[in-house]
Amino acid sequence: MSAVLTWLRRRADNVTVALLAAMFVAFILQIFTRYVINHPLGWTLEVCLTTWLWLVFWASAFTLDERDHVTFDLFYLAARERLRRVFAIVSAIAILAGFLAALPATLDYITFYKIKKSATLGIRLDVVFSVYAVFALAMIVRYALTLWRLVRGAPPPAHVDAEPA
Amino acid sequence: MSVAFLLCLLVLFVLAGIGTPIAHSMIVAAVVFLAVKGQDLGLAAEQIIQGLYDSFIILAVPLFIVAANIMNAGTISERLLRFCVALVGRFKGGLGHVNVVSSLIFSGMSGSAVADAAGIGKIIIEMMTKSGRYPAGYAAAITAASATIGPIIPPSIPMVMYALVSDSSIGFLFLAGIVPGLLMGAVLMAMNAWIAHRRGFAVDDPVPLRQLPRITATAFPALLMPVILLYGIYGGATTPTEAAAVAAAYALILAGLFYRALSFSNLYSIFLQSARSSAAVGLVIGAALIFNYIVASENIPGLLSSALQGLDISPIAFLLMINLVLLLLGCLLDATTIILVIVPLFIPACRALGIDLVHFGVVVVVNCMIGLVTPPYGILLFVINATTGIPLRDMIREIWLFVVVLLAALMVMILLPDLVLWLPRQFGYRG
Repeated sequence: MSAVLTWLRRRADNVTVALLAAMFVAFILQIFTRYVINHPLGWTLEVCLTTWLWLVFWASAFTLDERDHVTFDLFYLAARERLRRVFAIVSAIAILAGFLAALPATLDYITFYKIKKSATLGIRLDVVFSVYAVFALAMIVRYALTLWRLVRGAPPPAHVDAEPA
Repeated sequence: MSVAFLLCLLVLFVLAGIGTPIAHSMIVAAVVFLAVKGQDLGLAAEQIIQGLYDSFIILAVPLFIVAANIMNAGTISERLLRFCVALVGRFKGGLGHVNVVSSLIFSGMSGSAVADAAGIGKIIIEMMTKSGRYPAGYAAAITAASATIGPIIPPSIPMVMYALVSDSSIGFLFLAGIVPGLLMGAVLMAMNAWIAHRRGFAVDDPVPLRQLPRITATAFPALLMPVILLYGIYGGATTPTEAAAVAAAYALILAGLFYRALSFSNLYSIFLQSARSSAAVGLVIGAALIFNYIVASENIPGLLSSALQGLDISPIAFLLMINLVLLLLGCLLDATTIILVIVPLFIPACRALGIDLVHFGVVVVVNCMIGLVTPPYGILLFVINATTGIPLRDMIREIWLFVVVLLAALMVMILLPDLVLWLPRQFGYRG
């Protein structure tokens, strides 16, 4: 089971890297066609924005660990293990409840966009925006699992973060 | 202020306080707000999706992250450092000066203080402590202090975020950061010279001057980077976002083809690392956009602005007050959260008081960067601790003198808007 999960996770990382690389290449292409050959391509901008949207939510769903996120962990780190467990359980319940409660309306919002297509590539916007639904579902599954593990006595996650600023 | 908004704040503070990721805390708090208000819960998704999908300038953030990571992974940082040692290593407190000067140069290439501390900072700490010439805590402290310059001299990730929430020009913000960044470098070097003299730090063997041309030549392509960036933006050739992509591409060509310091698997892990940081920051930006929507719909900035007008407060007093608040918050919160969530509250008040938003932006970003080195929550101290193993206690004991001079520099920037705005005005800024 864990071997399968590790394999899946690696493939999800592949997608993450591919998204960032695609965004980067599209951007360079845009600059090259606009400034060097003076014949700008219309679609590169949309590729950049779409891959960026997908990068944020795809990576947040499948690539980022708890410790990759920007957190305020002063109290969490100062707390003893028992209290940390309480903190982690409250967090998991809140995230689970929040995302579950908003899920039906979120899906409604996304599917509503089946009537609209993107500006230059003509991709249906419900497809473009669907990555947020993937993210929301992943959060629900992940924090349900975390909650399950914590309640059964697994140690609360350790935090150390470093984000660019 | 409605009950829904108070509940929203309560949920946000409690969740963020117990270590829930900030982005998730903001999303959950927004859902609570919408539920209590009886509004469509899908609004949260709408704001976060549209916010990220519509804004072209945020794309600069991941691109600057990629550029910084490539420079750290290739040998670009080392080459720059050798150049700085040859240049200023010969003076009293030499490696301390090298530290500041390399930060100044590196800050012209990277927009992230953390990238500066983790990359070039780590190498120079090793150099400073190798033969026991400098105490480890001192080396770490001056590295952390000088890394704060990174996002002040363009390019700058925090300034891109500020431009996003304040609707001011990134180009002028970047220009306005140059003089303050040099000022910060100058006060840090002065403090380093004074401490080196008082504590009698040993002087390093000077690099013979005849080697200088060769060392400069190997570092030259890297030194060209800030020139390319600035020319791109102010020569009117590219937008700041496009300049970010050019910077990343240039770093890639330099590290991969010119210095031949990158393999394919290296590149993969650089992209994965950059994607992780970009996604984490992107999620916070998106979540902050929902939160800002709520704050705006409650008209909080307007209320704040009219309350301040009622107090009949002068612009300078207002700036000093805001800076005090931000410094205190900076001890506890990270810069991204402050710039995206707290700062927008004050923008309308600034407009009402006639404070220039470019001046305000530079002051705010400098303030937040000082917050990165002030304990207990100072991300730069944590990063250096994580990469070098130097205990936080030793760093904190040595850093306060540097914090004092940085605060003095901040004070000068607050009181002299003309100093900050002089360079943008040369390029046609009317403010």
